[in-house]
Amino acid sequence: MSFEKFFKQELTGWMVAEGEHADIVLSTRIRLARNLQDHLFPINASQEDANRVSQALNQAVETMQDHHFTGTTMKDLSPLERQILVEKHLVSPQLINPKKHGSVLLSEDETISIMVNEEDHIRIQCIYPGFQIDQAYEHADQVDSELEVNLNYAFDETFGYLTSCPSNTGTGMRASVMMHLPALTITKQIERIIPAISRLGMVVRGSYGEGSEALGNIYQVSNQITLGKSEEEILKDLGSISKRLIAHEKKSRELLLAKSEVHLENRLFRALGTLTHSRILPSAEAAKCLSDVRLGIDLGIIENIDMNILNELMIFMQPGFLQQYAETELTSDERDILRAQLFRDRLGVVRSATQKKDSDPL
Amino acid sequence: MLCENCKERPATVVFKQETLNDKTERHLCDKCAFYSQTFSFSPDQEPLSIQQFLAHWLGGSELFSEQKADERLPDGPKCPNCDLTFHRFLDIGKFGCATCYVAFSGQLPRLFAKLHNGHTQHRGKIPVSLNERFALKKKLEDIRTKMQQAVENERFEEAATLRDEANQLKQQLSDGGDDQHVI
Ligand SMILES: [Zn+2]
Ligand SMILES: [Zn+2]
Repeated sequence: MSFEKFFKQELTGWMVAEGEHADIVLSTRIRLARNLQDHLFPINASQEDANRVSQALNQAVETMQDHHFTGTTMKDLSPLERQILVEKHLVSPQLINPKKHGSVLLSEDETISIMVNEEDHIRIQCIYPGFQIDQAYEHADQVDSELEVNLNYAFDETFGYLTSCPSNTGTGMRASVMMHLPALTITKQIERIIPAISRLGMVVRGSYGEGSEALGNIYQVSNQITLGKSEEEILKDLGSISKRLIAHEKKSRELLLAKSEVHLENRLFRALGTLTHSRILPSAEAAKCLSDVRLGIDLGIIENIDMNILNELMIFMQPGFLQQYAETELTSDERDILRAQLFRDRLGVVRSATQKKDSDPL
Repeated sequence: MLCENCKERPATVVFKQETLNDKTERHLCDKCAFYSQTFSFSPDQEPLSIQQFLAHWLGGSELFSEQKADERLPDGPKCPNCDLTFHRFLDIGKFGCATCYVAFSGQLPRLFAKLHNGHTQHRGKIPVSLNERFALKKKLEDIRTKMQQAVENERFEEAATLRDEANQLKQQLSDGGDDQHVI
């Protein structure tokens, strides 16, 4: 089975607008870090060591009954292909580091990806759409247990799963819920909430943005500690915090609507206008407007736009995808122009007659 | 200089953030450094590197106080498998192999307590193959307790049977590998 299909299929499984609380929760992710006993951790490993680990993984995966995986090493992919895997959240940015010897195994539906020789020998990642913590964990846990039959994991009675970074030791599990929280952001409540949550052993951070600015009002809530709590306890805590955030967000939306409906409408429709009429659309602005339009749909203010198209655009607007679409490398300026065209086309707006038809690469 | 985050307290910590593309520096107070959102271990990326944390909260102030510049620092224990010293571990924030956990076991509870809200012991999933060993060990312990009771109550025949049973279990355990340190 060729690996190429993973680049063609734009709308990956987790990006479909479904699952519980799909209006607010975009996706749920579980990541399990595992290492093999008797092999140096990747940070220390030579190309040969890495190959041995990768071989062991390939063998273990071949014997699995219920799952079928397709694999590739990062070296065999072009820089653009690697970037697309990152933009689809199927691999981490660290895995594609050309100085490392990373590889990945993907399940047919892209729900499970097994990263090999990232920071740890093995990172099993499972992404589900919407709020599905238990389902995502069950799936990741199942893959982990199947792998373990044929692999000798580094495990200690006291410290649990031994990981490269001490912040993962124990369960090796990072569970996260990606949420769209525009009302909490507009009302600035999020600034109070984030530090409070970090005191509960959980972390909230912006989804793509570095620093405090969350691009597109998308936040990721995840567990910070991995030692001393069972997987079930961690997931339960994460679940209850997520639900509180969802309830909070819903309440803030109602309040926003009640307090200043016309101002809110103005803002949301202007965002729609920007997305459907821009000629140059930088990614930060696109993310901000996407957030507003999404809120408009959720509140029933903006109608006749399919949420799946918005999800698709979120993925599509990224540099790697734009360049794949254009089938050439693009400067940042060229990307902003192509992005604007993409949004106009996908949101079904007739272009003005002044624009030349032959300049349209889509 | 004031903390970039709260702009209230003086900045006491410089955090260097490294991503694939660039490097930035943030000047924060102790409190913000500890609680702020940037100070998180994200699934994708560690916006604030763990070695900064280790260096500041473990190495910097307490373990090697005021000796940071001195080249002849005590290296602490060294991993016999990958040669990583504890001092170097604090610098890079990563273990080199599974054996490092054994080599640094004396230092680890304190470190884990700092990182994991006071927790130092795993309470989660156990690999199935180890589960069987745990069950055997537990059974062996039970038998040993019963054996002791039998001896105390002078039921020597029963004690002898139990001893044979225990020996059999011990054999089973050692067939499965090293009894001392199950990894
Ligand atoms: Zn501060
Ligand atoms: Zn080592």
